[in-house]
Amino acid sequence: MKLLSRPDELRQALGPLAIFAILLALISVAVPEFLGGGGPSIIAQQATPILLVALGQCVVLCIGSIDLSNAAIALFASILAALTLGPLGAAAPVFCLIVVTLIGVANGLVLVYTQIPSFALTLGTLGVMQAASLVVTGSNVVYVMDNMDVVGWLFTVQILTLPVAFWIAVVLAAALWAFLRFTVPGQGLMAIGFNERAAGLSGQPVNALKVLAFGLSGFFAGLAGLCVISISGAASSIGLGSDLLVPSIAAALVGGTAITGGVCNPLNVVFGAMFVALIPVGSAAVGVNPQAQSIVYGVVLIVAVAATMSRARHGIVK
Amino acid sequence: MTSLSETGSGGAARRRGLAARAGLAELAILLALVAIFSVLNPHAFPTLTNLNTILNNAAIPIVIGVGASLVVLTGRIDLSVEGVMGAAGMAFVLLSANSRETADIGWLAYPAALAVGAVLGGTTGAIHALAKVPSFIVSLGMWYVGLGIAAVLFGYEMIPFLGNEAAVAWPTATPLGLPNSFVLALVVVGLGWLIERYTRLGRYAYAIGNNESVARMTGIPVAGFVVAIFAFAGACSALAGVMGSLALGAGSATVGVGMLFLTLAAIVIGGTPLGGGRGGALRTVTGVLILSTLYNGLILVGVDPSIQSGVSGVVLVAAVIAAGWSQRARLRVFK
Repeated sequence: MKLLSRPDELRQALGPLAIFAILLALISVAVPEFLGGGGPSIIAQQATPILLVALGQCVVLCIGSIDLSNAAIALFASILAALTLGPLGAAAPVFCLIVVTLIGVANGLVLVYTQIPSFALTLGTLGVMQAASLVVTGSNVVYVMDNMDVVGWLFTVQILTLPVAFWIAVVLAAALWAFLRFTVPGQGLMAIGFNERAAGLSGQPVNALKVLAFGLSGFFAGLAGLCVISISGAASSIGLGSDLLVPSIAAALVGGTAITGGVCNPLNVVFGAMFVALIPVGSAAVGVNPQAQSIVYGVVLIVAVAATMSRARHGIVK
Repeated sequence: MTSLSETGSGGAARRRGLAARAGLAELAILLALVAIFSVLNPHAFPTLTNLNTILNNAAIPIVIGVGASLVVLTGRIDLSVEGVMGAAGMAFVLLSANSRETADIGWLAYPAALAVGAVLGGTTGAIHALAKVPSFIVSLGMWYVGLGIAAVLFGYEMIPFLGNEAAVAWPTATPLGLPNSFVLALVVVGLGWLIERYTRLGRYAYAIGNNESVARMTGIPVAGFVVAIFAFAGACSALAGVMGSLALGAGSATVGVGMLFLTLAAIVIGGTPLGGGRGGALRTVTGVLILSTLYNGLILVGVDPSIQSGVSGVVLVAAVIAAGWSQRARLRVFK
């Protein structure tokens, strides 16, 4: 295996880590107490749901599709968890994960059966999930009444000063990396992203793999939903977790995932998610007016993706 | 340049025939919706007042859709709509007579706001085309930049209310029988149609969307035209921001909230595929009218407003499935 033989590959492999390190260094210089205080723990807490949604997204991006609905699915999972933790107890998280994984699988099945663009399909699913969240909650906030300890430990227990949920997400990212790199279905997913027709002609079960990708997206969204409920203890259609879509796509792209498919490294998505969570802290640290933070967010996003994306394969960028 | 679309083989002609039929299908859906809601609610739905409500609600997404359709025709996407609306809308309010008394440059506030949109859109296009970053991510970033500019302009002071009452009343007035906002939208659609049909900007948009490699090889300066198209889309979003501010009678950074997904859904429902190369502004008008008729009709029938997003989602998917059903095939590449 020829690794890092070209500057482009080097940038792709280390770019996300580098820009995260640069941003962290900038903040540490501007606000020295950030690292010593609770800073890293807060960043890890904010980055965890973003990372989990982004991991699902990067699998879908890997096959050249996009899932605009997975953040809404995450929010729906948190609402479902808030409603079922009381009656079901420890079985509630399993129930939620099964339901949202099936929603993801349904996305995939409709996609491969009707062959419509994933952008349009998941835009539709996004609307349906938003409506479902509103209807299930009756447009109210749902509080977890009982059995909060089933999910509470995710963010109260800490390892090396960071919440255990963050470490679980990192382990899952590593597992996903290994899956994509060393298993037959994983390599099949990458092959679809590189050249779908070639993958099909060489006998890859393209349709089944696409359903798998969307199922994984739903599953990871469910995990993110459990994190949201663990952090806040309540869920609503406009509450914590309702704005995960853009940060998670940004995290996947800053993590070097190509929006055109075939290029995906879940380990780098970890740095992408931490980078995205750091941007608001960073812009506040260097003294940006709070109202201008959104400008910084937008500009940094464009610059970060421009710096980390691979241009080797694409003559035409759309 | 009109010959560009005539030079195709029989396959191209057949596709054009299919496209024309598909356009009629969308119109049929719209008429069917009108008929269904008229039967379900004969007292409130088929009235002139309600027609004007629907058309007034449709005006802003139609204006956005003219520019956004042109971008989608090239196979690109512009996600910055809501940010550009906020920035241009705030710029317009602060440059007009308003309760904060920031500045009043009279009618020049309109071209100034459009210029804000064109510059933001042009910047998106330039970064995308020159730095070779996907338009998805550049326009996503520009969405936030626009919202940030709007928030900075809004500042920490009181809400700036527009002072010119005649201007605030203008969009919903009906001197021509239809709301002025919709008449303005039709003018913009006419402009968009002329651009698509008779100018290089429009013809090249189709050519780029159809096959960008071929477009490049024939010597079309793709980058330059892409920048111009994004600038035009920015100006359209800016006009929508001005119209939104007039409707509110005040400046707001979130004047465009909800407009992005509505417009994208309308473009796709209307029959412009996200891959580009086919469709256009006229089709987007049908798409917007389908969605705004549906929203309006469902509310009048008494359906819970909270399921609206779900209904538009289902309609979107159903429309796309119907449009693409005949093209399904084994080993077909679909993303």
